[in-house]
This record gives sequence, C-alpha cells and structure tokens, in this order.
Amino acid sequence: MNPILTFIIILIGFYGLATSKNIIKSVFCVTIMETGIILLFLNLGQLEGGMIPILDRLGIDIVDPIPQALMITTIVIGSTITSLALMLCIKIFHHFGSIEWKVVLRRGDK
Amino acid sequence: MELLPLLFVFIPIFTAVIMYLFKPGKWAWFVFVGQTILIASFIFYVIGLPSDLTDLLIIGGTNQMIRISFYNDITSLSFIALTLLMWFVILLYTYNTNRKENKFLFFLMFLEGIFLGLIQTNDLFNMFVFLELITILVTILIAYKKTGSSFRASIYYLLLNTVAAMMFLIGIILIYYSYGTINIQLVKQMMGEHSDTMTIKVAYIFMLSGISVKAALFPLFTWLPKAHGVAQSTISALLSGLVVKGALYMLIRINHQMFLGAGYQTEDMIFWIGTVTSIIGVMFALTQKDLKQILAYHTVSQVGIMVMGLSHMEGLSYMGGFLHIFNHALFKSLLFMGAGIVIKAYQTKKVYEIKGVFKTMPWTAILLIVGMLSISGAPFFNGFVSKSLVKYAFKNDMIKMVLFTIINIGTVTSFIKFSTILFGKKQDITYPKNVKQHLGMSLIALLCILIGIFYNELGQFVYQVDLSYVHLFDILSFVDYALYLIVGYLFYHYVIHKDYKPLQKIREFQLTFENANFLYIVYIVIIGIVVIL
Repeated sequence: MNPILTFIIILIGFYGLATSKNIIKSVFCVTIMETGIILLFLNLGQLEGGMIPILDRLGIDIVDPIPQALMITTIVIGSTITSLALMLCIKIFHHFGSIEWKVVLRRGDK
Repeated sequence: MELLPLLFVFIPIFTAVIMYLFKPGKWAWFVFVGQTILIASFIFYVIGLPSDLTDLLIIGGTNQMIRISFYNDITSLSFIALTLLMWFVILLYTYNTNRKENKFLFFLMFLEGIFLGLIQTNDLFNMFVFLELITILVTILIAYKKTGSSFRASIYYLLLNTVAAMMFLIGIILIYYSYGTINIQLVKQMMGEHSDTMTIKVAYIFMLSGISVKAALFPLFTWLPKAHGVAQSTISALLSGLVVKGALYMLIRINHQMFLGAGYQTEDMIFWIGTVTSIIGVMFALTQKDLKQILAYHTVSQVGIMVMGLSHMEGLSYMGGFLHIFNHALFKSLLFMGAGIVIKAYQTKKVYEIKGVFKTMPWTAILLIVGMLSISGAPFFNGFVSKSLVKYAFKNDMIKMVLFTIINIGTVTSFIKFSTILFGKKQDITYPKNVKQHLGMSLIALLCILIGIFYNELGQFVYQVDLSYVHLFDILSFVDYALYLIVGYLFYHYVIHKDYKPLQKIREFQLTFENANFLYIVYIVIIGIVVIL
C-alpha cells in the first residue's frame, strides 16, 4: 500500500474532526486517524516476499518485527480510548439529552 | 539494586492494586506505606548514583538498539523528586474525604506510577504509551465527580489529547523509518545524519505540535480550563501542579536533547508562542468570576512564562524556565488546595460571594496569601526568583520587557481580585477541621518561602549554576512590585470590577471542538512553515 494513501486516510480523519458536530462522529474520526497511522507504520515495516522473523533464519530476508509489535500496542490503546469515549458519550446523553457538541458545551453554563 | 527505576513504576501500581482488591476504607492507610517505601527507595537510589548523576538501565540485555531502556539524569531526578513530594501532599490532602473511595485511590496511585514511567523512559514508543495512559487515567479522574460538566470536560480532554498523541506517534514512525531505532539517546547521537531531510523535519513538526497540545500552548489550551475548573480540587491541584509539567518535561527531552544536533532555528518561534500563551491566559483569567477558573487560566499563563524561559536552549533563562516549573507546581497546587477548602466551606465558587476568609479560617487564608505572593512574583517568594531569571535573556529588549511587564500586571490584578475573598466580616459557617490537609499545605508553603530565600544554595549544590544574578535585597525589585500592586489595584478597581460588556464577551467565549481541531491544523501548518523555511 502506498504511504500517500495512508496519509490520505489520516487527513480524512482530521477533516472529520474539524467539521463533525456530533460527539460520536468525532470519536470515530479519531479511530479513522489511528487506523491510518497504524497502516502507515505497518507499511514501512513490510517487505515484498519477506519471511516471518524467526532467529534461526539468518541470511534470509525477514520482515521487520518491531513495527508489528508496536502497532499491536497502539491498537490496544486505541480500543481502550474508543470504549472510554463511547461510555462518556452515553453519560453525556443521559445528562444533556443530546450528543451535539454545540448543545453540550452551551448547556448548564450558569 | 540496579532495577530500582523500574520499581518506581511498579510500587505505586502495586499499591493501587491493593487499594482496589480489598474492602473500601479498610486498607486506605496502605497508600502512605507505599508512598514511604517509594520515597525511601528514591533516596537510596540517588545515594547510589555516580557523581554525574546519570544512570542508564537497559532491560533484558545490553543491545540498546532493540532493548527498552530507562535513563535518568539531573532533570529527570528533579522531576521524580517533585512527583513524590506532590503525591505525598495530595494524599495527605485527600485522605480524609476520599478514604472510602477505593477506586479513586486506585486511579490516583496508578497515575503516579505511569507519570514516573513517563519521566524515566528512554524510548519514544514507551513515552507514547505512558502519554496515552496518562490521558486515559486523567480522563477518568476528571469525570469522577459524575456531573454533567465533568463528563463534558473529560470527553473534550480525551479526544483532543488523543489527537495530539496520534500526531506524536506519526513523528515516532518517521524517526524509526529514518534512524532504525527509537532510543532517545541513540537518536540524539545520530541526529546529524538525516536532520536535513524532509522526513525528520516533518517528524519534528508533528512531535512539537503533539507536545504543544499536552502543554496547553496557544491556541490549543482550551481543554485545560474546562478540565481543571470542574474536577475535584485534589485533581485540579494535581493536574495544574504536575501533569501539565509532564508535557514540558517532554519538551526538554525531545526539543532540547533529542533534536539538539538538528539545529532547527526554533527558539524565537517557541518564545513567541510562550508569550502569546501567557498574555491570552492572563486576559481570560482577568474576566473570570469562578475561583477555580481563575486559577486554571493562570496555569495557562504561567506555562507560557515557563516556555518563554525554556525557549532558550541554555543559560540563566533556561534555568529560570526550569525552576519556574517547580515553583509553579508548589504554589499553584497550594492555591488550588486552599481554594478547595474555601469552596467546600462556603458551598460556592463565585469570587464575589465569598467574604471574610481571613477571619473565618485564618490558617487557610495565610497559606493562600503565601501562594498569591509567590505567583505574582513578590520578593522573598519563589516566583520572584524564577521570573527574574526568565527575564535575563531579554533584559535589553524593550518590546519583550514591556510584554513581560503586562503579563506581571495582569497576574497581580487577577490575584487582587482573588484576594477580595479574604476581606470582610467573620462568617458564621461550620466546616470540618482537618489537620492533615493543612499539614501538607504548610509543607508546600514553607518550601515556597525557602526556595525564595535560599535559591543561591539550591543553584550551586544541585544544578551547579550561579544564580547570584537575582538580587534579593535590590531596592528596585521592591519598588517594581509596589508599582505593580498600585497599577494592578487601579486597573482592578476601574476596569475589572465594573465588568464591562467586552469583558463579559471574553468570559463567555467558548471554542467548540471542531474549531479547536481546525486551529490545531492551522497551528501545525504554521510551525511547519517556520521549521521548513
């Protein structure tokens, strides 16, 4: 996959963050951005025709394992953040009756 | 015990797990045991260090390229000492009210472990992981009050800071792509090899922009007053005093150390970002009517002053910015804790509705006065030392001095407004007396005064820097401060107190989330243009 394409995915996420007026949409724009970043990093570690990185295959072209190890961690963190944000969305809906940024930020500002 | 740095991360987490596992309230005293063990092991660790106070711990092998490592030097040791002190005081402050809340104590102690990890790590990806964990834990702690406004503030905080951390991650990816390692010390040594390429410049831009959101620099500070204004006073003190400084620590690690060899000329840009942050923060603080909002906006403005100092790579101004981090941690947490006691006793946050604190609760009032004198830079208090040092680099530059004076007068004015709560008749209110809270706060207040008087010794013995540039008994500094007070009082009496229309407009100004993100894109583009050209 071309790195330019992954950058486009990141920019789509950013565009969504700068325009969406709904909290849940913002949460998913963050997720989209994160997916783009994960693809970007995996993309840099890939090798056409590379083997699995096991130590006794020295001399054969192997795929760089570090990006994959790091991106698994990123995926875990990302899912944690998504679930926490969605939980907060539910609570916000109970308190304000809406999940529009405009309504939520204005209401209760006594 | 070469693995002690790892224990600094795991002792608080272990304490946190004990809090969570056992019956609420029964084992709460164990936080103090854990904290004492932590402080003891830290002292043990510092005694065992070589004379240059640096230590590199590589976990699970010797090859730095592929192993995780922890690195400590005088900067990180100072931050660890500050963290341990602050957590001790915060625990003393919160013990009586939150002893039965075992989940609260769990998240609080967990945050300490993660914060110590962020300070010690020598690995960019681990830094990102700790950063995200801090974001998650702080989100939960802000939302802990379970009111509508705290949920609103916490989701704003969570999403904006996650976007910032993602930007930081892009920078890490590009660095790994160019250098083949994410070890900060190794990248620092190899920095010259690729620093001219576009990839590393883009990496620098993204990392700096991520740190800027975390440090609440203009125009990305909008999450900070929301979050710090609505959280519990304990959490506000912790966030304003310490967690914001985590981002400034990253600024030192990344901008001052890792990208040192790259030689991007960004000192001026960072200086002006700091100045604008400081002025805007003061401007918002002047219009607020809520005790905690005033303090929260002052955190923004003081962070601006720290960045003004830190923008110089070395010398007395850098030292001033560095010391201001510690001084601000002391007096801002003192102010937040004092304000918390006052708010709890009076059941209101409005500045103009609270009267007669000095007669009603004298000891709290004295501690608040120490905090206010420190933050406004009165001689004999610690704020004076670091602010004078920050001024050193531009003492001959007229425009910068005028701007700094404006910031100072703004600070004095808004604390004159803050101090109106002290005056007035004794109020007939009952509030729970709590010796532990005042014990911790008095410790911090004492440190504020001690640093303000014995700064020379501190500079000589700890940092090997000669701080005799600051004259304590210079008559001019007293005259300066008196003038600030007079101008500030007039300004308060004739402008701020009248609450004109434009001031109300500024107070009610709200930046929506999508506009904050739009500003973030603009910010990235602007620093991009400055760095690349």
